[in-house]
Amino acid sequence: MPACYRTNRMESVILSVLLLPLLSSLVTLLFLRNRGNVAALLSVATAGGILVFSLYLIFATGDGMYAWEMSWLTLAGWELKLGFLIDGSARLLLFVVSFVGFLIHVFSLGYMHDDDAKARYFGGLSIFMFSMLGITLADNLIIIFVFWELVGFSSYLLIAHYFSTKEAAEASKKAFIVNRVGDFGFLIGIVLTYWTFQTVNIQELKALVDFDPNLISTTLCLALACGFIGKSAQFPLHVWLPDAMAGPTPVSALIHAATMVAAGIYLLFRIDFLFTGDALTLLAFLGAAMGLFAGFCALGQSDIKKILAYSTLSQLGYMAAAFGLGMPGIALFHLMTHAFFKALMFLGSGSVIHACHHEQDIFKYGGLRQKMPITALTFLVGVLAISGVNFLSGYFSKDAILLGAYNENMIIFVLLYAGALLTSLYMFRLYFLTFEGQPRSNNSKKAHESSALMTGPLIVLAFLSIVGGYHSLYPTSISGVLLPDIERVAAMPNHLWMIVLGTGAWIVGSLTAKYLYGRGGENEPLLTRFPAFYDLCKSKLFFDEIYGFYVSKIQDPFARFIEVMELLFISGLMVRGSAGISGLFALLGKACYVGKIHAYSFWFILGTIGFLAYAVGLFGN
Amino acid sequence: METITPQHFLILAFLLFGVGFLGVVIRRNLLLVLMSLELMLNGVNVALVTFSRTGQNLDGSLFVFFIMTVAAAEVAVGLALLVALYKKRRSIFSEDAGLLQN
Repeated sequence: MPACYRTNRMESVILSVLLLPLLSSLVTLLFLRNRGNVAALLSVATAGGILVFSLYLIFATGDGMYAWEMSWLTLAGWELKLGFLIDGSARLLLFVVSFVGFLIHVFSLGYMHDDDAKARYFGGLSIFMFSMLGITLADNLIIIFVFWELVGFSSYLLIAHYFSTKEAAEASKKAFIVNRVGDFGFLIGIVLTYWTFQTVNIQELKALVDFDPNLISTTLCLALACGFIGKSAQFPLHVWLPDAMAGPTPVSALIHAATMVAAGIYLLFRIDFLFTGDALTLLAFLGAAMGLFAGFCALGQSDIKKILAYSTLSQLGYMAAAFGLGMPGIALFHLMTHAFFKALMFLGSGSVIHACHHEQDIFKYGGLRQKMPITALTFLVGVLAISGVNFLSGYFSKDAILLGAYNENMIIFVLLYAGALLTSLYMFRLYFLTFEGQPRSNNSKKAHESSALMTGPLIVLAFLSIVGGYHSLYPTSISGVLLPDIERVAAMPNHLWMIVLGTGAWIVGSLTAKYLYGRGGENEPLLTRFPAFYDLCKSKLFFDEIYGFYVSKIQDPFARFIEVMELLFISGLMVRGSAGISGLFALLGKACYVGKIHAYSFWFILGTIGFLAYAVGLFGN
Repeated sequence: METITPQHFLILAFLLFGVGFLGVVIRRNLLLVLMSLELMLNGVNVALVTFSRTGQNLDGSLFVFFIMTVAAAEVAVGLALLVALYKKRRSIFSEDAGLLQN
């Protein structure tokens, strides 16, 4: 139909964005399992295609909104629709996912070039891109949930890439199961939403809430926030993210830093009209506490990727706090800048790990700045950006959060500010131990700069980490959704004071790190000076132990109790019982079956006599 | 002197039937089993003739003729089976024909 040509073209572009990676992973699965190099090129080409189509979508929809839906399932009058909603937030995340995703695909070409299971890896990346784009574009909660589970699955698949190591195998299970807990709450939230509103479509929900604001309830939005807590690894489900670092480093950069964990924030943004004041306050406190707590944990770690993982947790806490303070636009802004500098640092750590033959202990590095100048310089940019050094990307988003907190809620501000101090401390600790001083192991002595496939993405991301905070540089179709909240924060008082405080935070943090770690060293200086404090950081407040205790002492006995009940009642009474009853009848029948002609004729005649007796009424009537 | 009433004939018929039944159930020799079957049929015949007589109609007698015919045919078939069995097994005792037994 030529009349709706333009609409059709939009639909087909959306569908291509979504189906391209799915197709790529299918082709990889079916035909390219043993041809890793072809699979890798296919996957990277797919990521490039996604980038092109996404940019088309971003610019074709302009500042407006594009919604399209079709019927997917019809069950006796009830209909589930599959639909897409491209608005400002979707365009922003689409940009981040496709752009950062493409860079990480390119980086993977270099990082994984001597891996044995390239096809599986790149197929997994494509599946992930498919699911993540699905979350970005979906317009109703049920479809979001479907893709939500799919990203969980692809995360599981990719964490377990080195499945022959016990660590990776267990980490993948842990990530999957912990996410299930959160997703169960999310599912309950979706059911509750349908119960209350009779729809799960985001636009319809918004219209309903605008019409009658009394429909929202704290229970409902907290249940929905469970999905966010699981996926974004917030307290109390944060335990899976540090373990998930057992996967390949580009996966950590893509899934566990830049996109998937940020999808939780994106979900909150999409349904922010459902949240009540109480729920927002709770989220703000949770996020701020996470921002501080993860900072302490990061200080106690010596694995380069785990430090970055805890810093991701801490930054996600900042986003949650921003959301809870009623500035979802700022949360989304921080999501974007964080995606740039955290992907940059993860890829930088990947470059270091690759150069040092998979050594991940920062106390075994040292002096890498001379050997890997590009990696060191770009990593430094990432460290400066996350610490909030003035006029880099992190400065704008983080200071906006801090300023908002300062003016709205002092307790949250104090927590976040302490988190900011810690952030610069542990990030500079990481930088000094890795790149400065003298090499402290053979691996780091022999390290050399990575190939252009790996440094290229680093340079692009470093550039974005520098300029990514200037929201006016972006086209309004991407940054439009941020502007209301940015303008709100810009109009708040105490700007100058916040600049002084923010600058003070990173200067104090970096100088402390310089003082403690500037000369390098085999050992942790905190261990000798403040052993109790260091042990507390290293223990991560015993969350893993508490969960382990819960599982082994409460959940397992309960599961065994259920198993006994099952054996007794289902297996015993119902299955064996019914089999036993029919068995009894069979015994009776078998007794008559003797194979003797006398017996048969006896029964025959007895039967006849019985029949006659009945016929003449001997048994009454 | 007591007169003979239909009840006496019926008792005779019942006795004949009962003797035949016991023979069928107890006897091991299949030839005797076959003969006992005949006895049962004849017991029934006596009863039918009695009913025909007391009822003043021919329905019972008519049945008797049919039963005698069928019995003759049945005996012919039964004896033939027995001969065949004897040829195969060299015995006409029922326990030797227990191929289906357990």
